[in-house]
Amino acid sequence: MRAWSNALLFALALSGVPSEAAEPTAGDPLDSVMWEYNRQIFLADQPYRFDERVLVELPPFAEDPTQVPLTVDASALAGRIERVIAWADLNPIQQIFNWYPAAGSRARLSLRFKVQQATPVRAAVLTQDGVWHVGSGFVDAAGGGCTAPSMANSDPYWESHLGEIAGRRFQAGSASRYRFKVIHPMDTGLVNNIPEFFLQQLELRDGQGSVLSRMELFPPVSENPVFTFDLEGTEGPHRLWLRDNGGNEFERTL
Amino acid sequence: MIQRGRGKAFAVTTLVAALSMAGMANAGVTDQDILNDQMTTDDVVSNGLGPKGQRFSPLKAVNTDTVKDLRPVWSFSFGGEKQRGQESQPMVKDGVMYVTASYSRVFAIDVKTGDELWEYNARLPDGIMPCCDVINRGVALYDDLVLFATLDAKLIALDSKTGKVVWKKKVADYKAGYSITAAPLVVNGKVITGVSGGEFGIVGKVEAYDAKTGQILWSRPTVEGHMGYIWKEGKKVENGISGGKPGQTWPGDLWKTGGAATWLGGTYDPDVNLLFFGTGNPAPWNSHLRPGDNLFSSSRLAIDPDTGKIVWHFQTTPNDGWDFDGVNELVSFDYKDGGKTIKAAGTADRNGFFYVLNRENGEFIRGFPFVDEISWAKGLDKNGRPIYVDDNRPGNPADVDGNKGKPVVAIPSFLGGKNWMPVSYSKQTGLFYVPSNEWAMDIWNEPVSYKKGAAYLGAGFTIKPLNDEYIGVLRAIDPKTGKEKWRYKNYAPLWGGVLSTAGKLVFMGNPEGYLMAFDAETGELKYKFNTGSGIVGSPITWEMDGEQYISVVSGWGGAVPLWGGEVAKRVKHLNQGGSVWTFKLPKEDA
Repeated sequence: MRAWSNALLFALALSGVPSEAAEPTAGDPLDSVMWEYNRQIFLADQPYRFDERVLVELPPFAEDPTQVPLTVDASALAGRIERVIAWADLNPIQQIFNWYPAAGSRARLSLRFKVQQATPVRAAVLTQDGVWHVGSGFVDAAGGGCTAPSMANSDPYWESHLGEIAGRRFQAGSASRYRFKVIHPMDTGLVNNIPEFFLQQLELRDGQGSVLSRMELFPPVSENPVFTFDLEGTEGPHRLWLRDNGGNEFERTL
Repeated sequence: MIQRGRGKAFAVTTLVAALSMAGMANAGVTDQDILNDQMTTDDVVSNGLGPKGQRFSPLKAVNTDTVKDLRPVWSFSFGGEKQRGQESQPMVKDGVMYVTASYSRVFAIDVKTGDELWEYNARLPDGIMPCCDVINRGVALYDDLVLFATLDAKLIALDSKTGKVVWKKKVADYKAGYSITAAPLVVNGKVITGVSGGEFGIVGKVEAYDAKTGQILWSRPTVEGHMGYIWKEGKKVENGISGGKPGQTWPGDLWKTGGAATWLGGTYDPDVNLLFFGTGNPAPWNSHLRPGDNLFSSSRLAIDPDTGKIVWHFQTTPNDGWDFDGVNELVSFDYKDGGKTIKAAGTADRNGFFYVLNRENGEFIRGFPFVDEISWAKGLDKNGRPIYVDDNRPGNPADVDGNKGKPVVAIPSFLGGKNWMPVSYSKQTGLFYVPSNEWAMDIWNEPVSYKKGAAYLGAGFTIKPLNDEYIGVLRAIDPKTGKEKWRYKNYAPLWGGVLSTAGKLVFMGNPEGYLMAFDAETGELKYKFNTGSGIVGSPITWEMDGEQYISVVSGWGGAVPLWGGEVAKRVKHLNQGGSVWTFKLPKEDA
């Protein structure tokens, strides 16, 4: 009886996932066991290719696993970039951001994020022809970035400075490069007794209030995050707007 | 090489689609749903089972004959280490229960299974200053929003399907000692809230916001001398000083930090279109610093929901010197007097007196003690004003050498003949069911001055029981005569709300952990079930698929365990918890 049940279960398992189990890394240059799993979540059945023109710049080793600098640069791809999704394969919360870059601006973005262990990091870039171009990077780490309490947990500074934005504008060729820092604990919810509390939406708006570029952010983005964007060919002054999952909204002219 | 993922739809997508389809079948909560809440047995969409706050249900499948077979069907844990006092009243709408927990948390639960649908955890600053435990008393529902307020004095609207924040407004500054623990009240599309913080020299207020957008509509301070405001087309306009002008019932500048917190929320009666909010103690506790009546502290206020104007007030303890923080709920009810219908309202005050008022104009009809002993007043005069026992007011520290005025033993204690825990009025028996406590206190005054964000009491105190066998007493009281029909005595102090039903039953929990049901006429204990931790919340009942359900939160805490003295001995063995229990009759009995 038991043998029969096991055989049945095995058959069911086989019929449920016909061939994925056989090929979890499916051409992944980093040969990650999580590639297929994350690909299903983020790209589903849409066409994609691994593409070295999508640069995912990371330090070789995460000196501070709660603050790992990441630059995604898709400016080598031709045409309009519709969307960029970034994730870390082996983080407990994989997704870092979902970004809709501004039209006509260089699709380059830097920020800092948390890693839980050494992990491949992906940036999937959707071009106008409906194809995802996937760039990959790898960061080695001692680990623990996502399940360590934020600094805010031991220092009440954030309570009186929540959402304060400090920013600068640089000239980068013909573009304006904005770098800004936002005071926020960015708690992941993975630390006992500290609820998740993180910036969830970011928008760059022009002088008339139209949205030029927007991002959805996820808890792996670092505490007091620092962002760097390029904006080209639009009239300032540009405004930055953010909202966290607690419903707090923050806004500033850059 | 372009690859194409093998087409396996992501499971969550299907789930989201299913949830949103289910959502379409359910209409949001309307003003009419809230006004009719007491009569519509298939939901609970207001705090108090109807805005009048009667906590009476016409359901009777569970009754004095069948209640013995009541069984739990599920128990849901709030989880985490945040097991402090659970004083919430759950709400139920379209098969979903919305219930709050300690530390400003909200849970949505499938009532058929007890499964969690979503939870929202407010990220609270460390600097919050709740005086009396990190509790929350429940949500309000409106349209597809779940509205609740937090320990850092924010009002938040969550999407009832997802638990995501739709809007959030700062009601007051938590760093100045404000917090909110009460359930908001929704009246005609407005969400109305008070504030806590009377121990920190805040200024109490009642505010109305547009429930759908969070736009503020009016703000009414509850201390004489402060300007009220109304927002007209988004513009803030002066709307009259509360009490007309400052300095009438307060000396000097004390009105500027006068307390009168509206910390228990309010009730509403559509018959007279008035909001009823109680106000807490004047600040500081040391009454010698503020000679005068100190309006509108320790009062009941009737407020026009459209304009935020105070229509009438009734003060239960003028120049309160005992923390008889008269915030207690005012429950609207009608009775016949010689063929005439009296639009009355009843309230059991911290100070030990039960008051019956005319709710149209606030006139005093009658008042009587509902506890066995009252030391600070000989009684009430014909207008309901207390006749003070002068020797029982704690002495003025300025009259003696040193820092401590003459101590007195006063009854009831500052935790009150009745504290926050709501009474029930049964339309069936015409009785009020009052959860009360018999205790005394030593109290003395000390000099004090105001400092933002610091305790502003000017008093010291201890509490002691009056009887060896019990502190808590559930009383059935006839509001027409003041007569006590029956009583149930409880060893530990009572701290949970009461529910009465047409099944001739009265439900209440106790700190020992029991959900209990009493015969509404005789007080006979008909049922009890231990929920595993103390009950300090308020039970509800509703009907689903032809069966009557009863739910109550369990989780010991609140103000009682925070105070030491002899009372601590009676409660220190009680363990913390944090769960909702749901009960019904076995199918064959129903």
